Amino acid sequence: MIGLFPLKDGDALTAVRSFLQTLLSNDVVDALYVPLESAEGQILPALVTDPARLESANPLAPVMLVNGARAISALTQKKAPARLGAVLRSCETRALVELVKLQQASLEDVLLIGVDCPGTYELADYQAIQKEALFALEDALQAAGRGEQLEGPDLRLACQMCTQPIPEQADIHLHIYGEGLAGGLFVEIGEELAEKLGLTPVLDYQVKKRQQVIEQVLGDKQKLREAEISALQARLGSNGSIAQMFAACLRCHNCMTACPICYCKTCLFRTAAFDHPPEHYLNAAYRKGAIRLLGDTLLFHLTRMNHMAASCVSCGMCSSACPVDIPVGLIFSTIGTQVQAAFGYTPGKDLQEPLPLVTFQANEWNEIGEVK
Amino acid sequence: MPDNNHFEPRIVAFLCNWCTYTGADLAGTSRLQYPPNVRIIRTMCSSSVDPVYVLKPLLDGADGVLIGGCHPGDCHYQTGNYKTRRRYVAMQEILRASGFDPRRVWLRWISASEGQKFADTITDMVASLKEMGPNPMQVAWAI
Repeated sequence: MIGLFPLKDGDALTAVRSFLQTLLSNDVVDALYVPLESAEGQILPALVTDPARLESANPLAPVMLVNGARAISALTQKKAPARLGAVLRSCETRALVELVKLQQASLEDVLLIGVDCPGTYELADYQAIQKEALFALEDALQAAGRGEQLEGPDLRLACQMCTQPIPEQADIHLHIYGEGLAGGLFVEIGEELAEKLGLTPVLDYQVKKRQQVIEQVLGDKQKLREAEISALQARLGSNGSIAQMFAACLRCHNCMTACPICYCKTCLFRTAAFDHPPEHYLNAAYRKGAIRLLGDTLLFHLTRMNHMAASCVSCGMCSSACPVDIPVGLIFSTIGTQVQAAFGYTPGKDLQEPLPLVTFQANEWNEIGEVK
Repeated sequence: MPDNNHFEPRIVAFLCNWCTYTGADLAGTSRLQYPPNVRIIRTMCSSSVDPVYVLKPLLDGADGVLIGGCHPGDCHYQTGNYKTRRRYVAMQEILRASGFDPRRVWLRWISASEGQKFADTITDMVASLKEMGPNPMQVAWAI
């Protein structure tokens, strides 16, 4: 059902905060994962047990330091130690679903609170918006609710081309698109929970209006996504261009650290596997005439792609983490989409659907492995 | 144009212990002739060949990589080769999408009794790679 949580002091953030407080104080959850705003205005993901701390909760700020799926993985592993609420964006929920399938997280005793996501800014842009007071968060949210974006910096590319801003797996779903937040906070929620929280059903909810806004927003994003992907595909088609794209890579592995899917405790590329005796490098240089040192940059990215592209949820955290502005996320999204299409797999959609590289059928791709 | 007449492709082959490696052994003990362009690495199962082991030689300049495993249904570990097959599908997509020629990576099911098939596979692969010419990665240094 759709419930309405009234605005207390007239703004949405206060409404969201008091809604989250009711979850803790009505004993729906024992702890809540949600971004808090520090005294300096930084938006930092946190685990909250004291409802008073939620006075500074801010899950609506359009900035995302980490993909929260990683945090929920750390918090739950095989099973959550308490009833846990998690306020997540759609890309975080999708990554979390993949992590559950990879047996790195659990949704048992976890209450997913999804928020419509109007997109996020790069951290530097977000800070500029704050510092130069380009616009108020409240106004940006109202505009986003109508499917508009206020003048200012561009959203992160991953958000500009995100075609899944609506969380699908959420137990509680906070609406931003549609009615906007002028009249209060619309909450999609199960009836049992609604009763516990004292929410009454909204009878005149404007479903049509919400759908119109979502269709318009998705249409624009879909167009941009297709354009970006086909432009990149054209570039990738020519031999050696992927090497050029990754040429500036510093081997910092930030993309891997930021990636919610890359979960290996000991990544091969953080071991001594590719440390060779000195003669080896010299031999390689004799063979090729020259070799880059330290090398294996492209090997790292292509290997990572083979390991996780099927589960890539296009959250773009890798691009945001890249210190030399390589469009890692766009490259992984583009190639990931092709890999996913080969298996007819949509990452983050269905907990029951097995991961494409873990499952198999005896009777498939029968032409592979035999002489053509 | 590369001089393909004098070009001898180098192939790195990962062969599963139970089928293809034994098949290669049979080719040897049966004194079958096949081109000497292949360097064989024995693995316990084709599914233990992580993509990194295929990519590393390719990027370092090997002309071809062969993965050999048991026929589907005959895996010593029941289902390893089925997973190899899916991983191979993903790898082919990624190689194609990122501008590499996926024809440099072969997956072949060759059983322990198929010595002749192993010899034929190597002969075919060498011929095919000669036609394609040397791996462009042999001169790519900035990777």
